[in-house]
Amino acid sequence: MNCPRLKDWLDERYDWEGIKKLAKSKLIPEHRYDLWYYTGGITLFLFILQFMTGMLMALYYVPHIDFAHKSIIEIVTKLNMGWFFRSLHHWGSQLCVAFLFIHLFGTLLLKSYRKPREMVWVTGFILLGISIFFGLSGYLLLWDERAFAATRVATGGAGAFPVIGWFIKAFLRGSMDVTGDTLLRFYAFHVAILPIITLCLVGLHLILVQYHGMSVPLSLEKEKPREAPFFPNVFYKDLMIWLVVMGVLVTLTVLLPPEINPKADPLAPPPENIKPEWYFLFLLETLKLFPGEILGLNGETIAILLVAGAILFFFLIPFFDRKSSRGEKSPLFTWIGVIYLLYFLTMTAVGYLS
Amino acid sequence: MKLSYSLITRRTFLNTLFGGWLVAFFSGTFYALMKFAFPTLGKEPDFVVLNKKDFIGLANNSIKRFPWGGTVGLYYTKADGSVIALKGVCSHMDCNVDYKPAEKRFYCACHQGWFDENGKNVAGPPPKPLEIFVISEEGEKLIIAKKGVKVELPKA
Repeated sequence: MNCPRLKDWLDERYDWEGIKKLAKSKLIPEHRYDLWYYTGGITLFLFILQFMTGMLMALYYVPHIDFAHKSIIEIVTKLNMGWFFRSLHHWGSQLCVAFLFIHLFGTLLLKSYRKPREMVWVTGFILLGISIFFGLSGYLLLWDERAFAATRVATGGAGAFPVIGWFIKAFLRGSMDVTGDTLLRFYAFHVAILPIITLCLVGLHLILVQYHGMSVPLSLEKEKPREAPFFPNVFYKDLMIWLVVMGVLVTLTVLLPPEINPKADPLAPPPENIKPEWYFLFLLETLKLFPGEILGLNGETIAILLVAGAILFFFLIPFFDRKSSRGEKSPLFTWIGVIYLLYFLTMTAVGYLS
Repeated sequence: MKLSYSLITRRTFLNTLFGGWLVAFFSGTFYALMKFAFPTLGKEPDFVVLNKKDFIGLANNSIKRFPWGGTVGLYYTKADGSVIALKGVCSHMDCNVDYKPAEKRFYCACHQGWFDENGKNVAGPPPKPLEIFVISEEGEKLIIAKKGVKVELPKA
């Protein structure tokens, strides 16, 4: 492609050569852990896909208690390619959360969160929380019996939080119970409120990453690793990996379209073998561990408080890990990271198999 | 600049005034936004009125569901023929419970909680028993009420 007049037009108005130079100056370190750098890019790619397929769904979805379930059935049965894009949106969300967790644990174990990159961790962690809320709110839009029970549990669980629990619960539900008001509220969260917050946070996250440059693991920092230019070397690799992810995603989409359970009935009990999305399984198993009463106190409240405390600690790890922020090895936090990872993996596996 | 008899400088005064204005403006805005976003909550019903004939002659050891506000109530005929009514919502995390006639117990599929014939939590995570309602009759009507609530039917 060679358009000299367009080039001149741009050159006269913008510092085109300067932008090119800037792009060339961006260097990415190469070392034996550099594969982890791509997990963030994959997540970004999946986010973009989710935005696009979500916009398509929004053209036909009806956020009303009487029509929501039916409108999704019509999307997958009557619309051209509807089954494909609904399935793509579903599997995109699954892979998105999966890669977010991989990205999170990679960052944790390589200690890329250490000074000066604490805010990259903070924005990323909030994005993970938002993504999970995306998953939950998107799931209710189906208005099937599993989604209904899942929403009751999730909002009811928030309600077990002492002091502010009832407020969060009522705010999320929009009424006393999970009703049509909740559906509408979750729709607003899913298509308006969360996407805007996500855009801002993703922007901030990316700007911070550009500002700080890529983090090099502590053990390799002294070796002075080789560096490759982002444009075009690493960018091409990014594109190749995105293509592979796209291939996996479309394969899942075509071969395993998600099922739609019967419409939610507020009077009916949930189906016998009900299970939440896989990324909630570790929470479910944790809740099951606690008996109804512990030393005369409400076991549920204790469980919720412990889980919230563990998540808060996880969130604040960059600020607790003083050693790695000084550039020293900190095996304690490696172990803490491994324990978190193992807990997450075992509990998810237990939940999946039981 | 500070006058000798003044407690604060002119700068402090202006900063406080401006800062106070900002705080007032944003807290007012935030309050209004939250006030709108927070729903006007309905209330859980004190009692519901049902048709008596729908609930006569139910088989022993079975339940019949009825709407209780946005959730569900269970009209439970025990194996010995006696009758109680309970709220069919698990005390753990608000899932609807199901009745298992073979075990004569209530079961919550969400986190595997069990309640016995009288709604007492016997196994799993539920922290409290199921809520028991009071059943009364008035002519053709069956009234199911929360415990300790005075039922006043509108005059027809």
